[in-house]
Order: sequence, then C-alpha cells, then structure tokens
Amino acid sequence: MSDLPRDDERDLVERAKRDPRQFGALYDRHFQQIYRFVYSRVREQTAAEDVTSEIFMKALKAVPRYQDTGRPFAAWLYQIAVNAIADRYRTLRPSSPLEDFHDLSIAGPPLEEEAAHRDEIRRIWALVEALPVQQKTALVLKFQEDMKIEDIAVAMGKTPGAVKLLIHRGVSRLRDEAGTLRPAE
Amino acid sequence: MSMQHDPELDDVLQDQELRQLADLLRQGRMSEPPLDDAFRSALRRQLMNRAWGMGETSAPWWRKAFEPAGLAWAGAAVGVILIAAVVVFTAISNPGTDTRQVDVTSPMSDQSAVKLQQPILVMFNQAMDHPSTEAAVQITPATTVAYSWQANTLSVQPTSGNLAPNTQYQVTIGPGAKTATGQQLAAPKTITFVTQPPPAPSPSPSPSPSPTPRGALTGQHQLASVPDGISIVMWSPDSSIVYFTSSKGALESVPAAGGNVTVLAADGVTSAALAPAGDQLAYVRNGKIEVLAIGSGTTSEISPTLQPSIVGWAKHGVVWAAADGVYVQAVDGPVKLASLPTSGLVVSLSFAPDGAHLAYTQDQSLQLLDVVSGKSIALGLSGARFLGWSPDGTGVMYAGAQGVVIYDVGGKNTTALPPGEPGWSSQDGILLGSDTDLWQVRPDGSSLTKLADGTYHLPVWAPNGIAFTYVRGGALFSASAPALPPKSSPLDSAASVVNAFMQARKGQQADKAAAFLDDSGKQSYSSSNGGLNLLVTGDPSFSRYYVLTQEITGSQPDTAQFVVRIVLSHNKLDVSTYEETLTLVRTQGSQQFLVDQAAAGPLLSLGRGAEVVSVDVSPGTVKITFDSDLMPATVPAGVIILDSKGKQVGGNPEYANRTVTIGGLELKPGASYKLVVLSTVQDVGGNNIAAEYDLTFEGPGDSHGGDKHKDQSPAPSPRVSTSPSPSPTASS
Repeated sequence: MSDLPRDDERDLVERAKRDPRQFGALYDRHFQQIYRFVYSRVREQTAAEDVTSEIFMKALKAVPRYQDTGRPFAAWLYQIAVNAIADRYRTLRPSSPLEDFHDLSIAGPPLEEEAAHRDEIRRIWALVEALPVQQKTALVLKFQEDMKIEDIAVAMGKTPGAVKLLIHRGVSRLRDEAGTLRPAE
Repeated sequence: MSMQHDPELDDVLQDQELRQLADLLRQGRMSEPPLDDAFRSALRRQLMNRAWGMGETSAPWWRKAFEPAGLAWAGAAVGVILIAAVVVFTAISNPGTDTRQVDVTSPMSDQSAVKLQQPILVMFNQAMDHPSTEAAVQITPATTVAYSWQANTLSVQPTSGNLAPNTQYQVTIGPGAKTATGQQLAAPKTITFVTQPPPAPSPSPSPSPSPTPRGALTGQHQLASVPDGISIVMWSPDSSIVYFTSSKGALESVPAAGGNVTVLAADGVTSAALAPAGDQLAYVRNGKIEVLAIGSGTTSEISPTLQPSIVGWAKHGVVWAAADGVYVQAVDGPVKLASLPTSGLVVSLSFAPDGAHLAYTQDQSLQLLDVVSGKSIALGLSGARFLGWSPDGTGVMYAGAQGVVIYDVGGKNTTALPPGEPGWSSQDGILLGSDTDLWQVRPDGSSLTKLADGTYHLPVWAPNGIAFTYVRGGALFSASAPALPPKSSPLDSAASVVNAFMQARKGQQADKAAAFLDDSGKQSYSSSNGGLNLLVTGDPSFSRYYVLTQEITGSQPDTAQFVVRIVLSHNKLDVSTYEETLTLVRTQGSQQFLVDQAAAGPLLSLGRGAEVVSVDVSPGTVKITFDSDLMPATVPAGVIILDSKGKQVGGNPEYANRTVTIGGLELKPGASYKLVVLSTVQDVGGNNIAAEYDLTFEGPGDSHGGDKHKDQSPAPSPRVSTSPSPSPTASS
C-alpha cells in the first residue's frame, strides 16, 4: 500500500473528486502497485497494460462518486482491479508459471539450503495458483500486496470475517497439498 | 528462516504449520514486472485527456465562481437560467447561427525550435466565447499565463515573459471551449511544440561557410615563370625568399617581394629541404646529397652507401631516406635510424618538418614511419595520397575518399576537411586550392572561408602566416591572405563537436558518431564492455536532445564537460529522458575536441512535475532554469548546491521567471559540486517534482575567454565532417 499519509491522500482524493483533472496525482501514486498486482495475475505484459488501463479509466470515471470509508484509496483501486481481472479470467487464463515472477533472493543460509528454500517457496506459490479464485485473491492481496484484512475486504467486496475465512481455508488447503514442510528455524 | 509476526493473522492461522506456510508466502514477494515507461506515460495522458472532458462538464466556470460548495447550487441555477435565456434569445434573434465544426490550429503546432520570446497563438476558424475558451486552456508544463484576443486568435502569454527553453509544450483546448454561438468543441484539441535552447550570452562564430569576400587576397604578383612545372616550394624563415624546384630538376630562389630568379642548382635535383634556421639547403642530386650554405654559397657533399631518395632536416642535421631505411649523417658517417619495409614497392615521399616522421608508400598503401620507434602505420584506405604536414609536424594531411584528411600523430585520430590541395600555416589556417577556387579553414574544420575564385595549385604559406605562394598556368605567384576570424573559444569548439556527435546519433549514423570518440571514448560506448548505447533504437525513440549545462573544466589540454539530455518520445510525445555527461578533450594535432569519457544517468519519466531544462554555471553563480512556473515558497529549501563533502554552499536561492539563482558561490576550478533539487519543489499546479534531481558538475576552469555556459542550437556544422571510423560501436 502507498506510504502516503492518510491526510495527504484524503486531500488528493477530494481534489480529484472536485476536479478529475487532479486525478493524475493519484495515478502517479498508485500506478506501480496496481500494475504489479495486475501483472502478477495475468502474467503477460500486453494483457497487464490492457487491464491496468481499464482499471484507471474506470477509477477516473468513478472517482467523483468515491466515498471515503476510512480505508486507503488503494483498497478501492484494488477492488476495481480484482473485478477487472476476474472479467479477464473469464476469457483468458494465465500463460506463464507464477514462480517465474517471484523474487526469491534470500540472504543468509548456505547456497544449497537457500536453493531448497527457494524451490519450496516456488512450489507453494504454484499451489496458490490452483486455489479457488476467491482464496487465491485473498492470499495474493495479503501476502504479496501486504494489505490489511479490512482493506482486502474492501477490495473483494466482502466482510473482514469472510476474508479471514478465505485466508484460513486457502492456507489450510496449501498445507494439505504441500505435504511435509521444512521445519522453521 | 525467521518468521514474521502478523497480528492480523493470529486468530486466523493459529496452527504453527499454517503460520510457517504464511511466512513462506510472504518471502515469495513478486519482483518488479517488466514495465514500458511509454505505456505508463501514454496512459497518464489518456487519462488526463479524459479528465479534461469530465472536468469541463463537472466543474463549469460558474460553479467555480460560486465556490465554496454552499453557493454552487444557487450559482448553477442562476447560470442555467441565464444560459437558457441566452440560447432562446440567440435562436430568436440570430437565425443564421454558425454551426460549423470548430477547427483549432496554431502556427507552432509540431514545430521543433519555437522562439522563446513570443506568445502561444491558438487560432479558431470562427468567433469564440472568450471566457469559456480561456477557462478551457490547459498547458503543460505548468505555466501561469495571460490571455489576449485578436479576432479569432487567442494569444497565450506566459506571465514570466518568455516560454521555457528546451521544453515540449502541450496546449490543450478542452471541450468546455465554446463558440460565440454556444457550440462546444467536439473533442479536446492539443497543440504540441518544442522550444529552442536559451539564447547565447554572446554571439557565436558561424559554422557556415562565409560568402566570397571580394578582393580578399591582396598583393598578388608573379614571382617566376616555370613552364616545366614546379614540384617543391619552400620559404625562408623570415618569409623573404622563396625556393623552388622545377619539374626538370632546377633548384632556384626568388625574393618574395618579386625580383630576379637565382639558379642554385641547374638540374638533377629530385628532393630539397631547407634547414629550420634557413641557413642551409640540402638536396638530392645525381644520387648524392648536397648541402648548400646559403650565406657563403659553398656546397658540401654527403655520399650515402645507398642512393638517397629524399632529404629532410631533424634536430641532429640532415636526414635522408634510402631504399632500406632512414639515415642521419653523424661525425663518422651515415647512421641508420629506422628501417623501411623490404617487401613491395616502397617509395619515400616526405619528411615531417621536424624530421620525426617519414611518409612513404608501400604499393598502394600510404604509410607513416615513426623514425624513433621504427614503427609504421597505414594512413587511410588503399590509394590514399600524401598531401603535406602541419608546420610542427604533428599533423599529416592526405587525400581520402571525401576530401582532405588530417591525421593527428599524437592523438591518433582524424579530422576531415573539404577536398583541395592543402597548405597549413603557422597561424593554423589551412589553404585549400584547386582548379576553380581557394578556401581557408581551421584544422578542426571550423571557419571555412572562400578566399577567391580561380586556379590555385600547390599553395604554400610563408612562415609569417600572411603571404603564400601558388602555381597557376606555368608560373609561381605570391599573394597575401586575410587572417581567419578569431579562433572559436574552446567551449564553442567543444559545443560544435557535441552537437555533431549528437546529431549523428540521432540520425542513427554510428560510424559518423564514433568518429567523435577518442580511444577512451570508444570504450565508454563499447557494447562488449557493457558501455553506453551509441545508438538508441526502438520505441520510445530518440527524438531530440539538448545541452543542459556546459563548461570548460581544464586546460593543457583543453577539457570541457557537457551534460546532454536525451529525450525519448512515443507518438511524438516526450515520455522519458536520460542524461549523459560527456568529457571532451582537445587533441594535439588537429586541435579538435573529441569525446573522451561518457556516463549516463537513470531513465526518468516525463510529465510529472517541473523539470530542470538549463543550468548555467559560473564561479560565483549558478542559475537553474525550470520548464514550469514554480511555487516560490518551495524553492529556498528545495534547490541547493553541495560541495564534495556534502556541505551546502552559496546563499539563499532567488526565484524569478522559472529561474532559480544561487549566488554567493566561490566554486573552485575542478572541484566537484552537486546541484540538488528536492521533490518538495512544486510547480504552480501543485505538483511536486517526481523525484529528487541531482546534477554533478565541476567548478569552472579557465575558459580562455570562452563563455562559461551557452546552450547551443543543435544545428549541424555544414561542410565539417569527420572521416569514418572502423571501430566497433554499440547499439541498443
């Protein structure tokens, strides 16, 4: 989520609501994270560009009606993104394996141990892809986008409790599918 | 691995194994995906265009006028009534309403070097409603403007006076603009143009050839009639006597002012050289070397073992070339200094004035022998023809495919001049004679000037750099040439090289661009060394460049540093930019600047906040020009200069007309400084600079009278070119 202080962000949003020409500042703040999220879901640059365009166009059109619920503006953008990606998924499946896009550089352990650890993370994220869409979305927003549960709830149009349930079910299913895990150190 | 604790998940993942899984998921954060900056910028522009339409419909002028919001509804209601009344009145009273589509044009549209001292003109094809049209104007970069009308033309004048230099402007007329009859624009119309660099503080010498000055040559007179032809011409050191040999081998002299011809050797002379002091004349005659003491008229003889072909003078005395090498006459006889090749047909042509080098041919290859090291190098391509030397022997001239090529013996690089028979003066003027005209030019290709029409063969300068001889129609003539314009300042000379270098890169001419690099510079742009890209290909494309700052940073040799900003465009719109810092060093022989070092900064997206477009460095003051009008309150804390230890230097920044001036500086020549523009600096639109901007520069050195700073027009230098280089180049 953006590091922008809430008051500053609220001010930017209010300005954009009054005059959509001020939307550029919000775009600048949030483009990178939204694009990254979209790319992680569609995993093809052209498709990511298409979906990102759609998200921000929709956001621009809707910003005059945006209601501040006390949650970050980004949560609202993620909501649009989740829906846009869902629309996309109806006609397009991801074409590349997820593990290609995860940064697994971990400092510390010996090389062979590090390699094994990386493989394990790749395997887990590959399993995420096979989860039901709602569980997958909740896990991605939580663990990849580092969002708070309440913000995920906004993005997914669900209650925080429902999000927690999705996360719990998703992670539990991963455990069942992953089998034995390496012990924590 | 250590586990990260997320309190939010305490009640969700109570099982240790689930938490461990969550931790693994968190460690697999996604790396930054591939991102096309052009897409990012294009989407932003698309959004802003769309926002314009929305902004106009959602925030009409009367609503703004009645803000705060409590008055807006009342204002809107009044506005609606008023507009309705106007519409009804217009419909009734003016049945011939103009319903043509609104066309918006500008003479500046798509122009690339728009003058700074003018307003932006926006022309409509019909009468417009002034308030709504003015309210619909949006300008990037953020600029405070005033409006005025003349008939159907809107004049948009920056209140700071001029347009910003080196800047792409986008002037959008939003759909809120209405005609006088109330018709709205069908869609926003954007006018795009790029402004010229800032004006130079003093006039620069023109790189263009000068027109023919009438009577430019003076004192033309015939010295001698030589119907057999002339092969060698030499001047005495005091420029009073001319020595020459006829094609039949007679060695003669004549006073430069005119007078009787004196025969020094009646025939058989095949090579001759005057001692640097002018007191002795050595020549090859009938297989021997004769040395004539000019004062006494006595002749001594040297008898080499092998027949000499040509003679010259080195600091130790007479040198000559024979079939197997170069010799000098020592006390106890000839001593061999260097060997010549034993294979092929080897013909010695000429010794350098200092005797340090010998030009010769080996079959079709022109070679340069370093007499001290004994090593030879090839000059030019096969068939290159030797033409002459610089007075100090550090430059060799030969005929290349396109014209005269100067090879710099010290710097090992070449400079190309137009074709002609060259003669190089002590004042660094080169005459270029031919059957039809006579030109004069500097060794670096600058100051090309036509002196006269007519036949001027074998031009040879007198040591005084004023008089010269030439051959026309079987006779030897003398004349005086006007002095060349003053030499360009080092900074001007370096700037012309930078412009030619960048023009070649912009034109995707890798070979031409590489000719402006010395060996070290070629390393900087070597693809095999992970160097910079000499050519920028793909999309966004290299659309323009400009010099951000330039200064002389050293002398002996002259050294200049330029920061050049390369602008990349997509669909004619500037989307990103990066800077290259070029260090140029003047070569010894041709005196031409070449790029010696290059470094590139990061790629930056455009269109977000103000940009620095010019930096003017002098010892006491640094002026930073932005493309946008700034919020003055954000300037003092946001624009600073640091010394090499990170300590802030200079007084408080002063801001006026897009320019921040930091005075009270005492910049030390050669010391490193950094200009820092913090992201807290805002333009008048309230946009912060996208990211902190840093520019490292050196304290200006002795400029030799040159200007410390002057942005150059990126115009190519006509008739000044460089020879192709076979060196490898990098391209992206």
